[in-house]
Amino acid sequence: MASAPHIVVIGGGSTGVGIARDLSMRGLDVTLLEQGNLTHGTTGRMHGLLHSGGRYAVADQASATECIEENRVLRDIASHCVEMTGGLFVKRPEDTEEYFERKLEGCRECSIPAEVVSREEARAMEPHLAKDIDRAISVPDGAVDPFRLVVANAASAQEHGARIETHSTVTDLLVEAGEVVGVEVEHDSGSGKRVHGTAGARERIRADHVVNATGAWAGRLGEMAGVDIEVRPSKGVMTIMNVRQVDTVINRCRPKGDADIVVPHETTAILGTTDEEVDDPADYPEKQWEVDLMIDSLSELVPVLAEARTIRSFWGVRPLYEPPEVGSDDPTDITRDYFLLDHDERDALPGMTSIVGGKFTTYRMMGEEISDHICAKFGIEADCQTAEVPLPGSEEFSVLRDYMDEFGLRSPIGRRSVERLGSRAETVLQTDEPNPTVCNCEAVTRAEVQDAIEGSGSDLNAVRIRTRASMGNCQGGLCSHRLANELHGNYDEATTRAAWDELLQERWKGQRHALWGEQLSQAMLNYALHATTQNRDNDPADGDPVEFAAFDSGDPTVGRSDGHDVAADGGCRDGD
Amino acid sequence: MSDAESPHEFEPAEPNTGEEFETVEVFPEDSFDLRPGSDSCYKCSTCDTNCPVAEVDDEFPGPKFQGPEQWRLKQNEEDYEIDDSVMDCSNCMRCDNACPAGVPLSQMHNTARGEYVSESMSKRSVTYWRNRILANYRTSARIASTVPRLANFVMNFGPARWLMEKTMGVTSEREFPAFATETFREWYSREGGAAGSRERAREHRERVGDPVDADKKVAYFHGCYSNYNTPEVGKAMVRVFERFGYEVVVPEQGCSGTPMFANGMLDDARRDAEVNISSLSDLVDQGYDAIASCTSCSMALRQEYPELFDIEGVDEVAANTFESVEYLRIHEDLPGALEDADIDDEMAAEFAYHAPCHARNQGLDRQAVELFGDLEAVDIEDVGDSCSGISGTYGWKSEKYEKSMEIGEEMFEHMEHAEGDTGMTECPTCAMQMEHGTGYEIRHPLELLEAALVD
Amino acid sequence: MAIESDVLVVGGGLAGLTAALAAARSGGDVRLLSYKQSTLRSASGLVDILGYTPAGDGPLTDPYGAIPTLPETHPYRTVGVDTVREAMSLFDEAAPTYRGAHTDTNALVPTHGGTVKPTGRYPASASAGLASDGRDMLLVGLESMTDFDAPRAAAHLEAAGVPFDVRGVEIQFPGDLRADAKVTRYAKLLDTDGEVSVRGRERPAREALAARVAPHHEGEGRVGFPAVLGDDDPGGVRAALADHLGAAVFEVPMGPPSLPGLRLEDHLFAALDDAGVSIETGNPVTGFEGEDRVEQVFVDKNGAKIPNTAEQYVLATGGLVGKGIDSDREAVHEPIFDCHVAHASDRYEWFDGDVFGDHPFARFGVDTDHHLRPLAADGDVEFENLRAAGAVLGGYDFAAEKSGSGVSIATGYQAGHTAAQEAS
Repeated sequence: MASAPHIVVIGGGSTGVGIARDLSMRGLDVTLLEQGNLTHGTTGRMHGLLHSGGRYAVADQASATECIEENRVLRDIASHCVEMTGGLFVKRPEDTEEYFERKLEGCRECSIPAEVVSREEARAMEPHLAKDIDRAISVPDGAVDPFRLVVANAASAQEHGARIETHSTVTDLLVEAGEVVGVEVEHDSGSGKRVHGTAGARERIRADHVVNATGAWAGRLGEMAGVDIEVRPSKGVMTIMNVRQVDTVINRCRPKGDADIVVPHETTAILGTTDEEVDDPADYPEKQWEVDLMIDSLSELVPVLAEARTIRSFWGVRPLYEPPEVGSDDPTDITRDYFLLDHDERDALPGMTSIVGGKFTTYRMMGEEISDHICAKFGIEADCQTAEVPLPGSEEFSVLRDYMDEFGLRSPIGRRSVERLGSRAETVLQTDEPNPTVCNCEAVTRAEVQDAIEGSGSDLNAVRIRTRASMGNCQGGLCSHRLANELHGNYDEATTRAAWDELLQERWKGQRHALWGEQLSQAMLNYALHATTQNRDNDPADGDPVEFAAFDSGDPTVGRSDGHDVAADGGCRDGD
Repeated sequence: MSDAESPHEFEPAEPNTGEEFETVEVFPEDSFDLRPGSDSCYKCSTCDTNCPVAEVDDEFPGPKFQGPEQWRLKQNEEDYEIDDSVMDCSNCMRCDNACPAGVPLSQMHNTARGEYVSESMSKRSVTYWRNRILANYRTSARIASTVPRLANFVMNFGPARWLMEKTMGVTSEREFPAFATETFREWYSREGGAAGSRERAREHRERVGDPVDADKKVAYFHGCYSNYNTPEVGKAMVRVFERFGYEVVVPEQGCSGTPMFANGMLDDARRDAEVNISSLSDLVDQGYDAIASCTSCSMALRQEYPELFDIEGVDEVAANTFESVEYLRIHEDLPGALEDADIDDEMAAEFAYHAPCHARNQGLDRQAVELFGDLEAVDIEDVGDSCSGISGTYGWKSEKYEKSMEIGEEMFEHMEHAEGDTGMTECPTCAMQMEHGTGYEIRHPLELLEAALVD
Repeated sequence: MAIESDVLVVGGGLAGLTAALAAARSGGDVRLLSYKQSTLRSASGLVDILGYTPAGDGPLTDPYGAIPTLPETHPYRTVGVDTVREAMSLFDEAAPTYRGAHTDTNALVPTHGGTVKPTGRYPASASAGLASDGRDMLLVGLESMTDFDAPRAAAHLEAAGVPFDVRGVEIQFPGDLRADAKVTRYAKLLDTDGEVSVRGRERPAREALAARVAPHHEGEGRVGFPAVLGDDDPGGVRAALADHLGAAVFEVPMGPPSLPGLRLEDHLFAALDDAGVSIETGNPVTGFEGEDRVEQVFVDKNGAKIPNTAEQYVLATGGLVGKGIDSDREAVHEPIFDCHVAHASDRYEWFDGDVFGDHPFARFGVDTDHHLRPLAADGDVEFENLRAAGAVLGGYDFAAEKSGSGVSIATGYQAGHTAAQEAS
């Protein structure tokens, strides 16, 4: 092909990067635009469940079937993002037999491997399950790290020539002669990697086709082009526990309801969720009762949760969509299926396609379908490769290799690092320099942080989602300044200070929902460290100049004559 | 109550060895998931500043990593290995005493060490067997003490020690402790056992005007060392307690498990714990309190057992176990008794006192100095809060010997600085290290109490 | 039979230690019960008095001058400025290695984050680092110590406008220590001047460290290191480095674990030993007996309850970090005596949305009368013989004000002193 069509994909969530990767692998010229960091929207705000399809096996079998197919694909192509934990649908005595049987039947109808396990077997697998559960169905649920998956997709797209722009907000769609021909975008800090303090820039990007993959924000993009896209955003809370109380995904075996799932996620467990329609995907109330509901309801399945430490809560907004004629009242009735809206056919507006609805587990399938659609538009015959070609990090990779000795790391640190980096571990961790651990909670070493900085610019939140640094129990209390230190050398002091502050604010945001017991004590310790020890809240570098001469410059009678004060301040014991 | 009335027809005076004891698996898998323990950690690292090993050995990553961090990073997959550095922990348990947030550090270390030994350590390795033999000191001691003089000769016979160093990795720098020609239990039997003690306790009650049938009875957990090596400590315990009107019984008992915990030999420790809990909980039910003269033994009964083993009665025994001097301090007017005490023998000395690490968690590290500080005939000086460095079996291992002496250096220096050349401590292995590092003779606080209070 | 004393202090942090010392100096027979080690080891070792007003004005040059302007409920107002001065004198006596007593004026000390902060007393080890001292400064970082990046801290100080030139360099600590070596490992090597291996040769640690710095040293009058310069003999370590480098040597106070905090704790415990205070650590006080008076408290040892009794009691168990104040999803409470702790019933009113906003949780603690006796919700004294000191007190945000140590010392002093007087 002389010149490949240029496709602008808007949205840096799983769907957007999935499309970008697919199209670029097929040889198209792709630009991806994301208003925040990758995963800024819904993708970064989900419970990390890799669906087996079991959850949809009764009410939505089409979705269930797609899930189990994609579940198998992702285990293969994204092995370093996926942990095959297995899942259980646990029936308590008050849950109906009938639903249990329907669930089992439904799984079998959708070809989801499902086995009934007794109470004893279930509790042997998960000792923290309540003693009085009845029995359970085991399914191949898993856990997936959405950050890692999205970053790997974006990296793959880049390898295939795509341009990825984060912190770049689409401010308008360019419509000429009734056709979308491009976008107007505002870059926060110039194009390329984000660097704090760099001047912003506006750019008009012309495109042969624009893909709107903005999820809950799809309606807003539609407005710019004058078309209606009736996304019905629905919020759900997720509460993060400090440790994994379970190593298997625990679902409550009853019809749809709030607070019915615990997902072991990396070092934590995530409790979910609620389902409540909101008007604005960017601005909605985050309520105490939602958090309390997670803990109170899910401790019926896993009693230890009642006293366990939560480190934060966050809310995600599902970009649900249903054709306007369906008219469901309750958001839980809205299908989890996805819809491809060809605006040429639908609204007589050529040049743009939207993809709405759907779920994380099937992101790749959605990308494949939309890519097929676009290729067809341009008469390109190219096969989809995303189901076969592993993502960067998941190539020919075996976690069983003894990486610990190879990289001089302690067993669990090496283990966690390799799990995160996958096949890139060797490139990243092999270093002759000292490689201290920067984030102790999540076992993230300097080498991994430096690798992430290379991919993130000066944005420490982008470093965070790549590495999990500052996502453990101290929530950045003891490592935020270390991360800022790591930035320095790559960026100047003012830039590192801005990035540091931004990280502190971001970490505070979710932690506010966990402020009682241990996490309130942690928050107070963090506050004392940042404000008392570091004086970050009254940093003279940020504020008014200080009149240094007005303060104590040292006791003139002590030690100045010989240039140092070495009075015996040694041990406390006699003779020291 | 006479022994015959005891519900289990148990004769505490009978020095049973526990060999025939049948273990009952109450909880077949003691596989505690300690990840929730990480919830208490704020990452303040106070524990790390208390670790005597991390201070001299940067290969050891410190208690925070070994405890809450490692546990939090762990996933219940079979190939999630415990880092081998856990074997460098000396199990001094100072981190427990440090943590402001109540993280169960030593429980995490003990469990991780147990897991490492059972899953990652070769059972055919010399190190494993060396550790196992060191940990099961009681077994060797029992055999040796049947022929104490021969054992004392052989154990410190140069060529034998050379061979042990070369083949087993047991340092030849140290002298093995001497075995007594008469064990404490043999002496106790000879003195009439429980019946004899009851009689003497009654005499003392009469002497001071207490009711003759006062309900004052304790069960003595002497541990291995007081039995085989320093029976004078056990004898002092019995005499001092009887002087306050307590009848002392000496129940069937095995090793407290301390050296086994330190070497990750949890199965061995459990076997002995079952014997100890079984016999002590019977006595606790009958109103006895359990008394140990070794602070590591009391520590095991009070803290490690309930943390590591689900054995029936374990909590009751823990709540009713005390260190010997502590018990008297709580129940008797010890300062009053010492006020007009008179010491005119060799115990009228100047003591360099070292508080064992295991005394710290029990709040006993200042007890001896506070108690004896006002005694006229003696001087007692605290040699500081450092670790002695031997930590039971740690300092016996060839590869750890140097580190052990480096840790102990601070204590040795303070001992040299102190007046006098007699040391004092509650812990038999600390005593070994104190003697090894300074050549001082080392006494137990009970011996001083005996000198002060028993005619 | 309970263990007896005139004054029983519960808590072994700065407030409890000061209370016990003040009580013992006032002639009381004093016993101190401390559960675990205090937050002194988490703090920088600087002893702040007052750096900013609650409204955020500052840095204040004169902490004492600002005390009368504080809200009436502030613990400093409860004890009064004269008591603060007396208490600081006691501290100065007990901690002879601290500096700053020669003036009422605050000092500005560089922090490991690169800012400066106002403080009332600083360890001798930090004295050559003051930001109002005009000598040029070289900061030395250790490559594997992620908490302190000397070039970044230097650039940050420059941005803060310090009146001297400052540079930062990173070196590798001699001896190829593992990257995760603890601060105590560095301190021990320097304390003992242990041998480290440098290019195959064994050299004493102090000399080897100085040799690593020397090529980077361009005649600056002072050289700063992260606070790892010895635990038992920091003066000796600094003197040796200073001799080798021909410049004053100082430490930049660090976050946890803090060696300066640890050294301060050692000094204070030694002062208590000298004063004849009986000390027991390791086990928590979990309960008490008494109605209007506290009759006795119980130390829990793995289930055994050991009674301790006294005439007067001081509660110095710390705040949210030290767990003298605890919370759950519903409420905030004081766990030992269940003293009243004022707080909003909605826990979403416990915090501000901004990370450095005006956080109510930072001011959680017990309210007291003028004698530091905790008050119940109705304003009545909870127990006539119980006084509170330090972070367990409410009504002040020590982190924002930089007043933590000063409040602990002043209220500890007052509580201990009064308790001893009442008991006699």
